[in-house]
Amino acid sequence: MLEWLIAPLDYAFMVRGILAAVAVGILCSTVGAFVVLRGMTFIGDALAHAILPGLAVGFLTAGEGNRDSLFWWALATAIVTSLGMGWISERTRFREDAAIGIVFAGMFALGIALISTVRGFSVDLVHFLFGNVLGVSNHDLVLIASFGGTVLLILALFYKELVIVSFDITLARTLRIRAGFYRYLLFVLIAITVVLSLQTVGIGLMLAMLVTPASTAHLLTKRLPSMLLLGSLLGALSGIIGLYLSFYFGVASGAAIVLVSIAFFLIALAATTVGGFVRRTRNA
Amino acid sequence: MRVFWMSASLCLLLLFVGCPLVGEQVVCTTTLIGDIVSQIAGDGIEVHVLFSPDADPHAFEPRPQDLVMLHRADRIFINGLDLEAGLADILETFGDIVISLSDDLPNLLAGEAEGANHGHATIDPHVWFDPSLVSLWVDVIAETLSELTPSQAPDIRARATDYQLELSALDEWIIIALDQIPPEQRRLVTDHHVFGYFEARYGLEQVGTVFPGLSTLSEPSARDIASLISTITSLSIPAIFVGTTVNASLAEQIAADTGTRVIRLYTGALSEPNGPADTYLSFMRYTVTALVEGLARTP
Repeated sequence: MLEWLIAPLDYAFMVRGILAAVAVGILCSTVGAFVVLRGMTFIGDALAHAILPGLAVGFLTAGEGNRDSLFWWALATAIVTSLGMGWISERTRFREDAAIGIVFAGMFALGIALISTVRGFSVDLVHFLFGNVLGVSNHDLVLIASFGGTVLLILALFYKELVIVSFDITLARTLRIRAGFYRYLLFVLIAITVVLSLQTVGIGLMLAMLVTPASTAHLLTKRLPSMLLLGSLLGALSGIIGLYLSFYFGVASGAAIVLVSIAFFLIALAATTVGGFVRRTRNA
Repeated sequence: MRVFWMSASLCLLLLFVGCPLVGEQVVCTTTLIGDIVSQIAGDGIEVHVLFSPDADPHAFEPRPQDLVMLHRADRIFINGLDLEAGLADILETFGDIVISLSDDLPNLLAGEAEGANHGHATIDPHVWFDPSLVSLWVDVIAETLSELTPSQAPDIRARATDYQLELSALDEWIIIALDQIPPEQRRLVTDHHVFGYFEARYGLEQVGTVFPGLSTLSEPSARDIASLISTITSLSIPAIFVGTTVNASLAEQIAADTGTRVIRLYTGALSEPNGPADTYLSFMRYTVTALVEGLARTP
């Protein structure tokens, strides 16, 4: 058993992959708790596509070999886009998902338009940025640690304000918390999380980690602090178990991690359904 | 204001109609085919290329100008064997003027069974890495162009024969160049399987790929990467060859872990004009030089 656990760690790529999957799992599921509770799960996919114009400009100015500069272009575009989403939903009182949809479609189309004017451009530009959990570099790990750490630190520092602004706008008014500022802050934190995860582990994994562990935790507990902790634990565990399955059974690694996190969700769903049924029959 | 709109719409019209057409119009899908057709076609034939240099032929999305170009074409040369899969629906509407250069070639290789086939047998489309097969393309191209401009048929046939001589010279040059690689080092690790025809002709062996199968879009498992790393280490493979249009981050990480290096190659398209591989002949020389430089070095 011990042998079985240690053998994959002989490979440096497995060690880096596990570290990255755990870190991204914790970061995404923590930020994801806010995303899920506010009903804006679409934002991950939207931001992943909305960075296209930034990538196109970055490609033009820096050349395709330079993935590092593409990261900064993607990050800047994602932050601007997320602020735009926040601004539109504030001005129009639309639900946030409508604002997200409008900005996402507009930015993506702008990116396609930019690319189509320049010949010699690959339409598959977005895939140039996307990472693979098996190809994580030391540089990627530094990025995750520094940016991910900063995001978690800010979440911890402004935890109370972010929670009140997200879930109890009346209380926020009574306490005179600057709701606008904290809403924008949350959008920016989500944008950083999305781009960081895209660059290091790729889109499929980012989408799943942002939504699934937090949702699973939400099924099992209604208290936000325990939801954050449980979500992080599930996110990290999915990464580790998924990579081991990928190593021993030859399943594509990103898919394996996502499927493990979905398995956790289904188990939790079954448990709560059975639990609810048992409680109801006892009461009856 | 009316003058403005009239001149504006006139400009727009000119943009789509373009300059007056001189001679017969021939459209080629890849830059490689475009170069070869240009070598053989004479003055009376205008050669256009659909795909961009330095771009992945699989990831092509046509713009309106491209469709205009296709609609004006008298003949369209394509690689075939599903290389232009993204264009298949559009090309079908052009019927007989579409000439597939590779579909009827002899000795076609089956694609990697794993991952690549979607219920039907796939054939490896990367035919151009064998100059003797490209020589068969030249026969088809010369025949088609002669039919299109019968008055120039003798000149076209002469240019085709000259070019075929250059192709066989290239073939001999490749054999001599590859002799610099010791037999036990004639092993290739690439991003995905592109060198099937090259290996078959020149006796190299593909021992691993970063992405499974024929597609760069498939995702490897941790087990695949672990076994690739073991292969590279146990066979002391000195280099991993990755196409210029492929995301090389995974290959670079594998190279860093195994102490090998990543060498970028043009695989499906020529370089920009005046680049190191801007004709088919220089493309092949560039590829072989890079292979020799990467593999002949004692690790």
